[in-house]
Amino acid sequence: MRIEKCYFCSTNVYPGHGSAFVRNDAKVFRFCTSKCHKNFKMKRNPRKVRWTKAFRKAAGKEMTIDSTIDFEKRRNVPVRYDRELIQTTVKAMKRVGEIKARRERAFFKHRMAVSREKQRAHRKKAMESIKGSVTLHEPLSVESATTRSKIKVPVKTKSALVQGEGRSMVMEID
Amino acid sequence: MGRLRRSRVHNARRDVHRASRTRVRTRDVDQIQLIDLDPKNRAKLEAQPIDIEKPGLAQHYCVECAKYYETDAALQSHWRGKIHKRRCKQLREPAYTIEESERAAGLGRETRRHVEAVDVMTDVA
Repeated sequence: MRIEKCYFCSTNVYPGHGSAFVRNDAKVFRFCTSKCHKNFKMKRNPRKVRWTKAFRKAAGKEMTIDSTIDFEKRRNVPVRYDRELIQTTVKAMKRVGEIKARRERAFFKHRMAVSREKQRAHRKKAMESIKGSVTLHEPLSVESATTRSKIKVPVKTKSALVQGEGRSMVMEID
Repeated sequence: MGRLRRSRVHNARRDVHRASRTRVRTRDVDQIQLIDLDPKNRAKLEAQPIDIEKPGLAQHYCVECAKYYETDAALQSHWRGKIHKRRCKQLREPAYTIEESERAAGLGRETRRHVEAVDVMTDVA
């Protein structure tokens, strides 16, 4: 059993899911969903479509250089089953996942800090450009706000239990 | 009285559908960039033997666009056109491949071929 990667968006494609296209030079293109397949048929470049992993990596929105990424590899040498090895591997996977998540969070925080700084500078620049061109005036006259007083309407309580009142079949006579 | 107006339901959708069939698939950008643009292959493609099934007997072929033309004049005017220039621009940057999609997913490859050599170079730099 092998978990493949989608050609377009690089997510996991589990056995029994998605579809594949085999080009006439025997290259297999796997797709996680029909969305990715359709985008492929439109001959789009995944590097230029913003929701793909390829775009995010190419645009520096995700970690690309890190030692935690290098663990997942396609190894073409078969390994003999060993209970001990599997146990330690599973333990290592968990640990590496933890470290990776922490590093990703740090990366995200750093990226956001930089972008916030940039935005602040941009906003300041925009404000300064406005300052010279726009002068604020006071409105000429302020209309007095009309206040509405609530009018209380006495509510007649009607009871269905009392005959002749409320929902009885008898016509109401005042 | 019969219908006078034609219905406008399937506006040109037939041709779009036909153009996207697998049997009319043209060569992909990565195939052109990695195989066809190689000088040896390019020379072969530009001097093809006469083939009566191909447009213009396969004598006027644009390698970048993977397209046959009827006459030399048509090929020349294609080279001057927007579509050819756009394709040339596309071919200037490295094509997207299956390997890149795997790399983007964080799935590396353990090989002793040129891929590893590139990795070592980037590590040093």
